Amino acid sequence: MTDNCMKHFERISEYLDGELDPATCIEIERHMAECPQCENCVESLKRTVALCRKMGGEKLAPDEATRIREKLRECLFREHKAG
Amino acid sequence: MHQETAVLRHEFDPIDRELIESFKAGSSEAMERLVERYENRIFTFGLKMCGHRQDAEDIAQETFLSAFRHLDRFRQETPLKNWLFKIAARACFRKRRKKKGEPDREISIESLRHEDGNGGDYFIPDPDESPHDAVLRLELKTIIDNSIRSLPPKYRMVFNLRDMEGFSTEEAAQIMGISIQLVKTRLHRARLFLRDKITAAYREGGLQ
Repeated sequence: MTDNCMKHFERISEYLDGELDPATCIEIERHMAECPQCENCVESLKRTVALCRKMGGEKLAPDEATRIREKLRECLFREHKAG
Repeated sequence: MHQETAVLRHEFDPIDRELIESFKAGSSEAMERLVERYENRIFTFGLKMCGHRQDAEDIAQETFLSAFRHLDRFRQETPLKNWLFKIAARACFRKRRKKKGEPDREISIESLRHEDGNGGDYFIPDPDESPHDAVLRLELKTIIDNSIRSLPPKYRMVFNLRDMEGFSTEEAAQIMGISIQLVKTRLHRARLFLRDKITAAYREGGLQ
């Protein structure tokens, strides 16, 4: 990892999130064009985020949803009654 | 860039606004509809943070209960969704403290950097080609879930808010009550950490 790689390494996520100014983005893109390691690093990070988003989802089961609502109703009703 | 905690202005969701007004006027149906709108996301967040479905259920209950108790004081300056996640984030923190487990720790950038010096030998499956086979999909999901779960809590929370729930950097900062720069730092380290974890899981005999 060269000094130039190190400089860009810490800003890869901001680059992927579109949070950098255009001049810095161009600088990173120029560096990637010359550095396969950094290009691979950016690509692998992009894949990691996309994969987690795609595979990391969860679904509340119907019985869990029922329990949450029943307990909620029960608590709020009790509190309302108690004033 | 920005050291201060974000100050955000949002358009308030008109459906939420209407439901909140109905709830304040005594409609139990409005309460049900508000829960229905956000229960899956709050539950998912709780599950991603705590790793157990029962804990996630408790967090969802605690979040909605607290929200309905204080809804009359909610000034609608931030979206309801963000306010609910702020309550849920606190509930996750309390749950972890109560269980007296899993101490928080820092992830050093050095520990993540050396991997990049070896030629970038990562194995991250292409998200567009995830396995069609149910068993393989389940294995892949387990790898992803375990990897996220292995993040230290404060990094896991930033990752879940930003990358799983889709909040902006500014919104995540506001929900967690930390600076924008800290969100960026933690998110970057969390992503690098996950990349290395997923790669390691594959090397150790995960999916091919």
